[in-house]
Parts: sequence; C-alpha cells; structure tokens
Amino acid sequence: MKKPIPIKDRSDLRAYRQAALLGAPPIAYLLVFFALPILYLFVAGLKTPDPTAFIGADWTFANYTDILSDGYYLGVIVRTLGSGLGIVLIALIIGYAAAYKMESLKPQTRTWFLLLFLFPLMVSNVVRAYGWMAILGRTGVLNTSLRAVGYDGPPLRILFSMEAVVIGLMTILLPYMVISVLNALNTIDRRYREAAASLGASPWRTFWHITLPLSAPGVLTGTLLVFLLTLSAYITVSLLGGPRFKLLVSLVFDAVQTFQWAKASVLSFILLALALGVSVILILALRPAGAGGRSK
Amino acid sequence: MSTINTLPSAVPAQGQLRRNLVAAAFNLVLGLSCALVLGPILVIVFVSFSSSENFAFPPPALSLRWFSQFFTTPSLTSALLLSMEIALLAASAATLLALLASMALMRLPSPKLSAFLQTLFLAPLVFPTIILGLSLLLFYRVAGIDLTFGLILAHVTVALPYAFRAIIAELAAFDAGLSEAAASLGAPPLRSLWHVTLPLIWPGLLSGWIFAFVVSIGELNTSLFLTGPGFTTLPIEVFGYLQFEGAQLVIAAASTVQIGIIVVLFATIQSIRWIAGK
Repeated sequence: MKKPIPIKDRSDLRAYRQAALLGAPPIAYLLVFFALPILYLFVAGLKTPDPTAFIGADWTFANYTDILSDGYYLGVIVRTLGSGLGIVLIALIIGYAAAYKMESLKPQTRTWFLLLFLFPLMVSNVVRAYGWMAILGRTGVLNTSLRAVGYDGPPLRILFSMEAVVIGLMTILLPYMVISVLNALNTIDRRYREAAASLGASPWRTFWHITLPLSAPGVLTGTLLVFLLTLSAYITVSLLGGPRFKLLVSLVFDAVQTFQWAKASVLSFILLALALGVSVILILALRPAGAGGRSK
Repeated sequence: MSTINTLPSAVPAQGQLRRNLVAAAFNLVLGLSCALVLGPILVIVFVSFSSSENFAFPPPALSLRWFSQFFTTPSLTSALLLSMEIALLAASAATLLALLASMALMRLPSPKLSAFLQTLFLAPLVFPTIILGLSLLLFYRVAGIDLTFGLILAHVTVALPYAFRAIIAELAAFDAGLSEAAASLGAPPLRSLWHVTLPLIWPGLLSGWIFAFVVSIGELNTSLFLTGPGFTTLPIEVFGYLQFEGAQLVIAAASTVQIGIIVVLFATIQSIRWIAGK
C-alpha cells in the first residue's frame, strides 16, 4: 500500500515530475539487471532441481532442508562465520590503532597516509592475493628471508591454509577499516577530549569514555564492510586457501561448476542470510554507543 | 618497579618512558599496516622485472623479458584489450546512469524517498558480487542475452555505486539555487544542465568515471561466471594462470601493467581533486 505523497504546491509537483523523468532510467536498469536476476535466483532455489533446465517445475523446500541438515555444510557455515569474524576483529584492532595514529598527524602527512591506504583498494584483488602467494609460498619472500637470517629448519608452509586466507583477506580489507574509522575520528570535536584531559582523566580513560563511543559509527561502517567483503571473496579464498580449504562462497562456485543451480541458489541465500544476520547484530550492538549520551 | 618508585626523580621519567613506548607502539602499528597493505603489491612489481626463469626473491638481475613476453602472448594481450574496452563502455554507461540518478535525488523534495533511492543505488556496493554474477548468468541464459553484452552490463551494475557516490557528493556541494535561477530565467532543463550544472560538477563527473573505470578493470567475482575460454578479462586470465599453471613471472608482468594503469588513473583523480579544490 503506497501512501499518497503530500504535495505542498506546484513547484513540488514539478520537482517530483522532473525527478521521476531523470530517475526512471537508472531505477529501471537496477530493477531489471540487479533486483530481477537475484529474485530469479531465489526462485530457482525453491524449485525441484532439474538437470535439463535451469529451473525446475515444482515448488519445494527440500533444497534448503537438505543442506541445513547436513553436518558438512553446517561445518562450512561455522568456518565461514568464524574466519569472517576473526578477520573483522584483527582488522578492527590494527585498523583502529592505525587510524588513531593518523588522526594525530599533521593534515598534510595524514593525506599522504590516506592515499597509501586508498591506492591498494583500486588494485585488483587477484594481484594482491598473488602478492601474498609470492610472500608466503614455499620459495617465497618470507622463507627466503628467514633462510638469509640463518634459519635452516624446514620451510614454513603457510600458503594453502586458513592462516594464509586470514592474513591475505585481513590485509586486503584493512584499508576499508582504517578509512572508515579515520572518517569518524575526524568528525570528533577535539574539545571533548581536551575537556576530559583537563578534568584529570587519563588518556586511556578519555579514549574509553569519549573517543571510542564517539567513533562507533566509523567502527560500524568498517566492520560491516570488512565482514561483508570476506563473505564473497572467492578468488582470495581459493588462491590462498588452496583447493581443499572451503568456505561457503567456494561451495557456491563448485555448485555452479557442476550445474547444480538449485544448490547454488540455496547456498547463495544462506550466505546472504549470514550477511544480513551479522549486519543486523552489528548495527544493534554499535548504534546505541553512537548516540554518545550514555552515562557509563 | 618498587625500587624505582622510591626515587622521586624517577617517577616522571617512568611516565615519560611509558608514553614513549605507547607512541612507539602506535607508530609501529601504522607502519606495519602500510607494509601489510602495500607490501604484496610492491613484491609483484619488483619480481616482474626479474631476469630469472622462475620466481626468485630478490631477483638475480633486472630485465624486461617478462614484459616483452606479456605483450607477445595473444591470450594475455587480448584479455587486456577486452578489459579496457569493457571498462570504457561500462564506466561511461555507469557515469551516465549515476548522473541521472544523482540529479533525480537532488530534485526530490521528500527526504525519506530520497534516502531510500540512495540505498538502492548504493546496494550493489555491499551485495556479494559472486552472487550477483551467478544471478546474472542464470538470468542471461534464460532471457537469451548475449554473454559479451551481459558482461558489460554486469560491470555497469558493479561500477554504478562508485560513480554515483562521486557525482552526488559533487552535486550536493554545488548550489542548487544556480540551476533554479537558470530555470526561473527561462532556461529549459537541458540548457541549464549544459551551461550551468555540467561546468560546475565536471570534477565529480570525471572522478566518478575514473572510479567506475578502475572498478571495472579490476572486477573479478562477478565476471567469474560470465567469461569463458577465449573471452576473458585480464584479472580472470591472471586468476586462471595462478590457479592452473602456477605463478609464472609473465603473470607478474601482467599484474604490473595493470598496476601501472591504476597508478596513472589514481594520480589523475588526485590531480582533479587538487585542481578543483583550488
């Protein structure tokens, strides 16, 4: 049910008409080439699998119940959540500290550091994952350097493991956290902190009660971005984790490779549900702090 | 610790030491973050100039042999060419759609509707790209849309939010009263767009276009399902090499070429900001 739009006067009416004319092409484009295909994929997961067609004839929930009652898939879901949240936590600690330091720098220096974090975001993730392969591989930079400083044990085998995926994804996504937190820190009025300090609060107390709560919106943005991007980083996961390390997104890819459309759809929407669920929890957890009015 | 505390003069010194340690720790974290983020990219650029047959770090000597091999490998050059073509088309289409979307939003008198539409235009930014790719693959097959054309459309969708963000920020900063003034003086909308709005917002428009171009040229997860043998973009081709043929150094050269393009575009965006900011 659409509520009638209150129209104040004729200029409002003209504005709505102009907006509708201008907005129609992009809105139509996103409905047809973004919303509709996703809706179609959802429907495909609710139909009986049909190897000869993309979409079966009969409605069913069996695709969902099959996967959600299978221990293997549940294990992958837990691993996906665990590695995602682990990456978010590490990125939050490192990224917050880096942003906090950047905020205290002179504007000129801060801009240079900001560019250093912005630039890698523009480089394709496959290149950045390749960089980590070159560093962590058996004859990679890390092992060569260790050998050069006198280590003569067996080469470290970090590549093709969960650790490699966590290191790679965390560093690939770290700039999002740094930039989000820095944006929030920049908007905090310095006088709040000066007031706290002049009233005798220790730097730690000032940070805990003033800076951290006021920067909550930036923490929320950074955390959401990093978590959501860990969920869909198939290329990074497959290059650094190797063929045997599977996250939910790898299973989506495998299902597509074997033309199991219904299964691919179900796995995709489980992934979306995880994304949505964690986002809602994060928003609820970090919103109240953002108001900054809590007594303690 | 207790023995130090008994010396009155040592107390401030200890506080000073702790402050210095904390400051050093923060410097270390910032430096480490930069190294972790930039290091992998620099390693690839460095080894792409290697003269050796296989990966070796540091390279025994420098040469351009892998670049000449890159430019004489047809599968790689055609992938680079396709990437550039798609990025050119997709960035232009995305910028046009983003301009229309931003102008529509600026005119909407209802803030709620405006906020809702803004969320819609930014949605592809956070939507898992691999699921978008899968959705589009199914949709194109069923609707009978050619995959070449479909790949360009997919890049338009992924790049749209980036162009939109740059353009709406520019439009919001510029005084809407100016185009209203032009309209009240009798200028038709297109005329006021051409003579008033565009000359004022060109920096946002151009950096929006470049952002869209950069996103398209590095796009991976959506393209994964929409490309195939003989029809791949450069990042997908690089991925294929890394996965199935090992990390050959010609791939490092391919990556360095890509990084070079990004450096030029990134520098362009920054100089636009600098010129427009003056």
